[in-house]
Amino acid sequence: MKKLSCYSGSFWLGLGATLLTAQLAMASGQSLLDKIKGATEPVDNTKIESAYTLTAKTVQAEETYQGGTFRVLARKDKITRYRCSVCHTDKKVLVKNGALYTHSDIAINHGKGQNKLECIQCHDEKNRDVLSDAAGTKIDFDHSYKLCGQCHFRQKRDWLGGAHGKRETYWAGERVIRNCTSCHNPHSPAFKTKMPETYSLPLDD
Amino acid sequence: MKDNKIDKSDPPENGRTRRSFLKGLSIAAAAGSAGLVTGGCTGEVASEEMGLKWEEYFKKNYRLMSQKEKDETVERLVKLAKIRVGVDIQMSNQAPINNVLYGYAFNISRCKGYMDCVEACVQENNLDRKSKTQYIRLFEMEPGKLDPSTGDGKYHHEVPVEDKFYMGVQCFHCENAPCIKACPTKATWREPDGIVVVDYDWCIGCRYCLAACPYWGRRFNWGEPQVPAEEINLKQHYLGNRMRMKGVMEKCTFCVQRTRQGKLPACANACPTGSRIFGNLLDPDSEIRFVLKTKKVFRFKEELGTDPKFWYFMD
Amino acid sequence: MTTNSRKGIISFVTDCAGWAMAGGTGFKIYLLALFGIIGMGAYAYYLQFQQGLIITGMSNIVSWGLYISNFTFFVGVAAAAVMLILPAYVFKDKDLHEVVIIGECVAVGALVMCLTFITVDMGGPLKVWHMIPGIGLFNWPSSILTWDVLVLNGYLALNALVPLYILYCNYNKKEPVGWRYKPFVFLSILWAISIHMTTAFLYQGLPARPFWNNPLLGPRFLASAFAAGPAIIMIVLIIIKQNTSYPVSVNIFQKLKRIIVISAIINLIMLFSEVFKEFYNFTHHSLSAQYLFFGLDGHNSLVPWIWTAIGLNILGTVLFAVDPSKCNPRYLMVAAISLFTGIWIEKGFGLIIPGFVPSPMGEVVDYTPSGPEIMITLGVLALGVLVMTLLIKPAIVILLEYKKSKAT
Repeated sequence: MKKLSCYSGSFWLGLGATLLTAQLAMASGQSLLDKIKGATEPVDNTKIESAYTLTAKTVQAEETYQGGTFRVLARKDKITRYRCSVCHTDKKVLVKNGALYTHSDIAINHGKGQNKLECIQCHDEKNRDVLSDAAGTKIDFDHSYKLCGQCHFRQKRDWLGGAHGKRETYWAGERVIRNCTSCHNPHSPAFKTKMPETYSLPLDD
Repeated sequence: MKDNKIDKSDPPENGRTRRSFLKGLSIAAAAGSAGLVTGGCTGEVASEEMGLKWEEYFKKNYRLMSQKEKDETVERLVKLAKIRVGVDIQMSNQAPINNVLYGYAFNISRCKGYMDCVEACVQENNLDRKSKTQYIRLFEMEPGKLDPSTGDGKYHHEVPVEDKFYMGVQCFHCENAPCIKACPTKATWREPDGIVVVDYDWCIGCRYCLAACPYWGRRFNWGEPQVPAEEINLKQHYLGNRMRMKGVMEKCTFCVQRTRQGKLPACANACPTGSRIFGNLLDPDSEIRFVLKTKKVFRFKEELGTDPKFWYFMD
Repeated sequence: MTTNSRKGIISFVTDCAGWAMAGGTGFKIYLLALFGIIGMGAYAYYLQFQQGLIITGMSNIVSWGLYISNFTFFVGVAAAAVMLILPAYVFKDKDLHEVVIIGECVAVGALVMCLTFITVDMGGPLKVWHMIPGIGLFNWPSSILTWDVLVLNGYLALNALVPLYILYCNYNKKEPVGWRYKPFVFLSILWAISIHMTTAFLYQGLPARPFWNNPLLGPRFLASAFAAGPAIIMIVLIIIKQNTSYPVSVNIFQKLKRIIVISAIINLIMLFSEVFKEFYNFTHHSLSAQYLFFGLDGHNSLVPWIWTAIGLNILGTVLFAVDPSKCNPRYLMVAAISLFTGIWIEKGFGLIIPGFVPSPMGEVVDYTPSGPEIMITLGVLALGVLVMTLLIKPAIVILLEYKKSKAT
């Protein structure tokens, strides 16, 4: 019996010791958060070899990101009838073109109640080729974030840092992010309800 | 009759690089079994297929392969894909990028439940269409709760529903992953860039990892996975979206075939709302680091000590 | 070779084979039935091999089913041989020493079932060599599954070789030499406990599954095994007593009964303790238990099973504890079968399935084994029973002959 307990004791001790060592070996490794906190050296993302072939037109942002520069997707090439001043002249408008020329297809659904926006709160009253903010500063269509940010300053701060909006295709390489208007329709910025792209299988019945 | 075929089906460049003692054996056995299977009608192609399969059967675990062996198996898999499905795939075995540790953040106040991510993932990763395998699952959540397991994962109606929010789950690529610990054959492991991958050819299909995962991050191929040939994503990675076979485990790989080329994973790329933030945790200037620094973040089931590299945050 | 009377291994094997297959029409029909069931199972397995595990009832939610449930249970049955070995060799119990070989044959049969269940459950059974150290990669000591592989195969070797040695000696009308096999007997005692603890640790070590992640699981495995295992050994002994001239004394039944009663009571106490923990203060970790005992979200496929199991458990325990028949074989048969069935349900799919339901993502699905899955399971069970039969039959002949030769 003594022999038995001796055997059994050493067996379980052996098993325990092995498992414990395995655990300690794992625990002694740096924790994930320590590892992240410890990584303070800037990384040059442009050095990452990748087939960097962004076809979309981009412009250099007139803001800084973490002390460096970045690019945003251009907007002007997406506006079908830019430049606006082609139509917005002193010339008289024919009645038959009226519906088209007065942008009757645009419904402004931006801001609620008393704060509902009107065209000229964002578009420059004189020069239709640019936007202008509350202070009257002229803003290029490609840099609309400057205009949006005057009200949506929290979103702009997140957007600059990377918590709002998104990068275009690449996480590596030079930072190219989407403009406000890449995702939001400026005249009706809220996302629409729609059917989901797909569905997950009902797992039962 | 068989002997003629053996000679033809043994291209010199195929034999040169292999261990010679295996070669004779493998080709003979391959020809024999091919004859059995096909009845000899398309013998030549079939015996080439069997030869490739035979060599595939005896290959090592991916982590033990030299670069040359990795290239060889990729070459074989490309040939096999051509024979079986008739498509010309491009398969990579690109190694992790230095000084990169991938991390993910999910904005639960932005997600609208559109499921573009789920669909993009299915397309990108050649997921089985027959059983409708999905790596990502979106839950429609009742306000007042934060645990996705209390949400509805089967919704199919116009989204977003007012007063509901949406929460996505997938493999969280835990630093201390219970699945890796569970695997009896070391067929699943964490790459240096933090991605938890599966060597599909090494997996024996015991499903212990599936039982061990607290996040339901793994999917098993109960049958032969099926993707229409015209829908196959041809840009593949050995550890990523290459075609799986029945009886093996698979899972989200953070789209290793994309991310190692500097691209966003398909889900993050497809998201129309910008709820999905992906980047290098070791880069202090990355977006993911900005989120961790400036937002109040949390992880799912943090009490289990798995250290997932997937955080949830709110605006 | 040393003495003239000694017969070689070849004659041992051929004699054993002859004795194993010899028998009346009833026995022939019995063997034929077993082969029939195995054949059906083999055909179903062929289908599963061709099409994949999709032909089973398992899914990504309930990813282990009938196979692993039975595996878990029969590991217990295999381990239970220790309840004969321990008293027979450590406490030098004469009565149990008579039947210890039969207990070990039952253990071997159970182990064959276990290993076959594991194999049929695998998605890539042809890739098993990936686990062999040297040519494959063996994730030891990290993966508990590798521990289980080691202990199960080790236990099979111990339980096959020791009786084989003893029987071979007896076949040659010799007393086995103590130092040659006794160390292995003691080793097998520890090993028996370790196979069942390790199998429990497979589940117990998973924080992902709160239903299993419970320190009582291992001890409860042992308690239930030491009730169910001796119960099946008792069934086998009753069959032997009624069909052969092998003497099985009442004392043996008496002692087995005592072992069963004590283990069954401990098992019931632990069951009660678990139920108390789950339901006194209900947490979301108790959802699995709720699913098992009462059903969840309208899914209640396990509810009738578990209550049947608990009923049979209590019935069996009470029948054994009271026993007004003073070890009447028929009475014992009823008691043993009810206890065995009760524990089989409770520790088989009553343990495995609720571990997966609800899933970590809160999904509740019912699991129903498919036809082929049931056929494969029956085939594996029949294979184990066949192995047991073919081991026990020659063992009895050899032991009887040896007794006769000693008496003269």
